[in-house]
Amino acid sequence: MGAFFIQPLITAALVLVLTAPISGLVLDGYRFDLHWQPPLWLALAAFFIHVGLILIRRLLRPGQKAPPQQNSRQIHPTVLRTATILLPLLGLLLPFFLGKYWLTVAILALIYVLLALGLNIVVGLAGMLDLGFVAFYAVGAYGYALGQEYLGLGFWAALPLGASLAAGLGMILGFPVLRMHGDYLAIVTLGFGEIIRLILNNWVSFTGGPNGMRVDSPTLLGLEFSRRAKEGNVPFHEFLGIDYSSNHRHIFIYLILFLVVLATLSLVTRLKHMPLGRSWEALREDEIACRSLGINHVTVKLSAFALGAMIGGIGGVFFAASQGFVNPTSFTFFESALILAIVVLGGLGSIPGVIIAAIVITVLPELLRDFSDYRVLVFGLAMVCMMIWRPKGLVQNRRPVFQRRSA
Amino acid sequence: MEPSILAQQTVNGLVLGTSYGLIAIGYTMVYGIIGMINFAHGEIYMVSAYLTAIFLAVLASFGITSVPFTLVVVLAATICVTALHGWFLERIAYRPLRNSTRLAPLITAIGLSLVLQNYVRLSQGARSQGIPTLLQGSFAIPIDSHGNLIRITHVQTLIVIVALLSMAVLTFIMHRTSLGRACRATEQDRIMASLLGIDTDRVIAIVFIIGAAMAAIAGVLVSLNYGSFDFHIGFVTGIKAFTAAVLGGIGSLPGAMLGGLILGLAESFFAGFVNSDYKDVFAFSLLVLILIFRPSGLLGQPQITKV
Amino acid sequence: MKKTSFYGMVLALIALLAPPAMAEETIPIGVAGPLTGAYAAFGEQLWRGAEQAAKDINAAGGVNGKKIELFKGDDACEPKQARAVASQLTDRHGVKAVIGHFCSSSTIPASDVYAEAGILHITPASTNPMVTERRITTLFRTCGRDNQQGSVGADFVVNKLKAKAIAVIHDKDTYGQGLADSMRAELHRMGKKEVLYEGLTRGEKDFNALVTKLKSVNADAVYFGGLHNEAGPLVRQMKEQGLKATLISGDGIVSEEFVVAAGGPTFAEGVHMTFGRDPRKIKEGQEVVEQLRKTGYEPEGYTLYAYATMQIIAAAITATRSTDGATLAKWLHTNDVPTVMGSKGWDAKGDLKVSDYVMYRWNAKGSYAEVP
Repeated sequence: MGAFFIQPLITAALVLVLTAPISGLVLDGYRFDLHWQPPLWLALAAFFIHVGLILIRRLLRPGQKAPPQQNSRQIHPTVLRTATILLPLLGLLLPFFLGKYWLTVAILALIYVLLALGLNIVVGLAGMLDLGFVAFYAVGAYGYALGQEYLGLGFWAALPLGASLAAGLGMILGFPVLRMHGDYLAIVTLGFGEIIRLILNNWVSFTGGPNGMRVDSPTLLGLEFSRRAKEGNVPFHEFLGIDYSSNHRHIFIYLILFLVVLATLSLVTRLKHMPLGRSWEALREDEIACRSLGINHVTVKLSAFALGAMIGGIGGVFFAASQGFVNPTSFTFFESALILAIVVLGGLGSIPGVIIAAIVITVLPELLRDFSDYRVLVFGLAMVCMMIWRPKGLVQNRRPVFQRRSA
Repeated sequence: MEPSILAQQTVNGLVLGTSYGLIAIGYTMVYGIIGMINFAHGEIYMVSAYLTAIFLAVLASFGITSVPFTLVVVLAATICVTALHGWFLERIAYRPLRNSTRLAPLITAIGLSLVLQNYVRLSQGARSQGIPTLLQGSFAIPIDSHGNLIRITHVQTLIVIVALLSMAVLTFIMHRTSLGRACRATEQDRIMASLLGIDTDRVIAIVFIIGAAMAAIAGVLVSLNYGSFDFHIGFVTGIKAFTAAVLGGIGSLPGAMLGGLILGLAESFFAGFVNSDYKDVFAFSLLVLILIFRPSGLLGQPQITKV
Repeated sequence: MKKTSFYGMVLALIALLAPPAMAEETIPIGVAGPLTGAYAAFGEQLWRGAEQAAKDINAAGGVNGKKIELFKGDDACEPKQARAVASQLTDRHGVKAVIGHFCSSSTIPASDVYAEAGILHITPASTNPMVTERRITTLFRTCGRDNQQGSVGADFVVNKLKAKAIAVIHDKDTYGQGLADSMRAELHRMGKKEVLYEGLTRGEKDFNALVTKLKSVNADAVYFGGLHNEAGPLVRQMKEQGLKATLISGDGIVSEEFVVAAGGPTFAEGVHMTFGRDPRKIKEGQEVVEQLRKTGYEPEGYTLYAYATMQIIAAAITATRSTDGATLAKWLHTNDVPTVMGSKGWDAKGDLKVSDYVMYRWNAKGSYAEVP
């Protein structure tokens, strides 16, 4: 029993030493105030966490490791089929039951699903670590804002424009980085993301700099979703003869976005089983082998970059439309890290995992908003614990295996 | 262009670059040994800045005023506690992921840096914190006959000297001691090294400790130089130091310092002679350009892919 | 095991999704600002002021017999978060009025949300002209405008300091750059041209290269549009490099943190800044200042602005017996309100009729005093 507590005690002592200066001696100008409680609490917490961990380990040991549950985990095909029909329907009906606040959160969650699907192609399928994905997101968002400002484009024109701009940029970025591997690629993409953000912030006369730009919301066949429409137009609510509600606009954005997400989903799922998707995954596993087998690594890598970027750009257009305002601070490195976290937490390459993770990562901080001070701390802790608990992500990517039928 | 201005900008760039280089060493060593970008390293540097101020305040409350004594004690204490932070983080957050995918520790590191930032903010408050001026004064070096001179403060001189010293010590450790040999062996082939009786977990832990200690040296000196810091400094500095590490060739010790110096000089010259709005754009463009022509950084070993 | 925890989560979700059970007697009011992030000190000023005011008003019987209930909103000075916070305050908490947003870059996007919801929005601190230039009728401010600050600054630099080479530096943010641009426009109007106009990066500490550049153009006055986190290291490095130029800034550095950020009063001494007449010295506010000091909080910067803003909202609701944004706004456009900062009245745009920017100078003791 004594040995049981020795390790946790050592941990507690360590935590005490670690936290004593930072949380115990609080700076006040050039002097300090002594707060002896916080380090003690933290040490106590560390002690109990360690004891808990040991207990869990002891409890698990007798049963050894749970046997591989591959077979029992396989979802029944009928369940799967009903789910693929029911879930989209549920998703389509959802906005009508949400208040405005949760509606905006839901839109944001869908945008992150889109972004994560895009990055998943680059990182998850093609295996290229991209830390500057936010650049394409920014290009999409600013493509809409600038297109509206200088060319008078509406949402529907901006959608293909933003997508193709981002895809083009993805190609341009793709060329020089083809030679690089792994983390050199990561830092170049990071640098690229920062360059885009800094230019957007510094080029005040063109992009409005830090003041950002205003963006109109999308229209439905020329109907506007505002209280009063611009000259010559009829607002949506007058056209239908219903009362004005600012929710209409959000519901509308949600619905288009949801359809776009569905389309992207089916595209990505199909691609995974098509030659292009297979060659992405093959290239990720072994580039040299692929090249010796005659796969053109340039086109394969560039297509992954361009496609991922295009999806990111579409996400950006929707972001601009739903916010009604774009500003460079929305496109910092932290955003890239967040999207990457979604992809990794969801399980690299796994599409359902990525969707779940995107929803969790956008909704969790909003749920935590009531604990405003501890919000980001808890979020970071959750990220660390998730990774330690399931290092391969929420849903592990199972590759299609060809099995010989046993008689 | 006046020579005195040119000389002064060179000094600015060298001092800035040295501090980037010191932090870059932590990135480069950890990357070299386990192939992981330790994004939480910038926050380790931030923690060490807080520790500096706290230890200074503690010493001041005992009425100790001797500057050399204070400096040595604060430096030693900060290095110890910061190194302990480095070790602790490795133990709880990275070691469990040792044999997992390459990206898992990266995400943990991002999470950890959020945790560290907010832990410090909640404990110490969001305010800017300051450090009393310990070393005042500067050397004024005349450049030409018109009385133009450049100024190098005593703290700046100290930064360069201490950085050179610690680089020398580190190089000695890595090349002349058994610990250094173990590090290099682990770096080359972790499985083989452990077969040969090297406790690789211990070696990796030591690398984290050394990295954190170097960040602590930077933290003490840089905070003395600028006199103020807040819980946010780890992020910007961390990205710059990481850039420096890659620029020099990630995994290479002299490369980290060289990358830091190039980055510092590039920023300083561009801000000084062209436009400070676009200095970061220039720094990152330089990085991209260098990596296009030397895909493994300036002093990095090109990766040999075996089939 | 797994099932129960799942249901627990669902329950928790439902509990969080459901609108908060509102007691009938309270008037919910939102206070939004950077409560976390690098500018949290200013958010604290807003919160402390508003909180104290709500306490005092509730102690005196509330508004029309109803108590004020405050809701915090943290935007961390990020526009995206500002919008999220705004829709959270209006939609989930159903606030009837909002005090807030500190950074102009947050106030502007958030104001659209409040305007759409039709509630009264008063910012105690956002000075960028764009805030009120967009003619949102339910938007007011209890602080001045950057162009007023800029003209006081320019007048001081040109006529008092008689500076020959003026450099204008900003932090590339809505507030800082807006202020620097106002200053520059004002200088141009006076027939002066700046010798240098450049931006520095928020969050950095090393401005030595910029300082050397200032030296190379022989600047004798440097106007900085930005906040104290960057102004502090800037002035310190100016002095360390032996640049004898006066640093002038705006209301972004009115916090004792500026002295800390500069590395002590020796470095902060001689820095000038524009700010409204020190609200702590206005006689109506003495009682409140004493009360706040008793709780161990020095009501510097925008604390009293937030206090006054709360009083204004309470006064408008009391007078109109309504919480409708348009009604309250109409009343505020036509009536003056007595506050801890004296009587306040608004023009058609929602700007203060009288603004009273004056020049302050930081002294060797680490505090600021009006320049005579």
